[in-house]
Amino acid sequence: MIRRTRLAVLLVAVAVVLAACSGSSSGSKPSQLNDNSGSGPYHGVGLDPAQPRPSFTLTDTAGKSFSFGQQTAGHPTLLYFGYTNCPDVCPTTMFDVGAALHSLAKSLQDQTYVVFVTTDVKRDTGAVIHRWLSNFDGGTSAHFVGLRGTQAQINAAQTAAHITVAADDGQTHSADVLLFGSDDYARVVYPQSTNEQQQIAHDLPLVAKS
Amino acid sequence: MRLPLPAVAAGALLLIAGAAGLVRGAVPQAIASGGSSAAAPIVVTNAYVRPPVPPSQTAAAYFTVYNTTAQDDTLTSVTTGAGAVAVLHTIVNGTMVAAANGVVIPAHGTLVLSTGNGHVMIEQLFGRLLPGQNVNLELTFANAGPITVTAPVIALGAPVPSTGATK
Repeated sequence: MIRRTRLAVLLVAVAVVLAACSGSSSGSKPSQLNDNSGSGPYHGVGLDPAQPRPSFTLTDTAGKSFSFGQQTAGHPTLLYFGYTNCPDVCPTTMFDVGAALHSLAKSLQDQTYVVFVTTDVKRDTGAVIHRWLSNFDGGTSAHFVGLRGTQAQINAAQTAAHITVAADDGQTHSADVLLFGSDDYARVVYPQSTNEQQQIAHDLPLVAKS
Repeated sequence: MRLPLPAVAAGALLLIAGAAGLVRGAVPQAIASGGSSAAAPIVVTNAYVRPPVPPSQTAAAYFTVYNTTAQDDTLTSVTTGAGAVAVLHTIVNGTMVAAANGVVIPAHGTLVLSTGNGHVMIEQLFGRLLPGQNVNLELTFANAGPITVTAPVIALGAPVPSTGATK
């Protein structure tokens, strides 16, 4: 009888612990930071007025000149400024971009550019950016481009794209990903969020040439 | 209908052993060491570590801190078993900055570190960090003292412990 009482106490203890566990994790509801219901037809944040595709020329990871305005014209383009030694937002964002593209039709991937511009002028060499991007472009036929330049060039590129100019050796930077459509306008932007992948996957087909 | 006594005894033993096993399994390591009773002043949950993305050699740790006391407490430092340097970064006025003087967790308040919302940056790693490994984190509080939690290494893109917090 004593044993049975102990057992009952043990089972009650288990029930309490389990209840505490389920109470502390309320599922996959986005936090306030990410609770973005989207704008208009988009799941990202709408831009009004729309931003025209900017023109700036930087250097790609092979050391060649890359004219963003000309070479991505007419293509759906995701533009992001960050740095490779970033432990947090940058790799998460690029992972979401890669995963979103991976989920789309190959014809759509083929015409899409993903342009990463480093804000860390001192440390991000072409080789470093190339290696870092290779973590994210696997399994997609989209064109991943890594760009670098002088501090003045990078600042000018951010200004042209209406992105807050990064500070602190590029480590304090905007988390926004801009999506330009085939019509060369950005009508939607993605701040860092836990459902960025789904937002981009939803919106990219809307801005591509049908 | 009378069962032989040895069978009854064996059944009871099995039940007790099973129940005891359940209890042990149901108490997570982090909570066991951090204290799960209502008397624990500080409770740390949902700790995890993101490994570096090559060629970067910087990892990040995340967790949620609950201050169950009626007094503010300050998370003054974090040390880890993963690397020589650990720096707490939080968002101040919309910008991610190193918290040089620690972070105050208000009375009955929480601190939630999550992607884009603060992290512990871990540098000068002692070795490779692979998903499936565990990292010990020691959080030191001005009032509550040191608390050690175990944080699993979780790959980029893989699900992380839900904080369930809405700030």
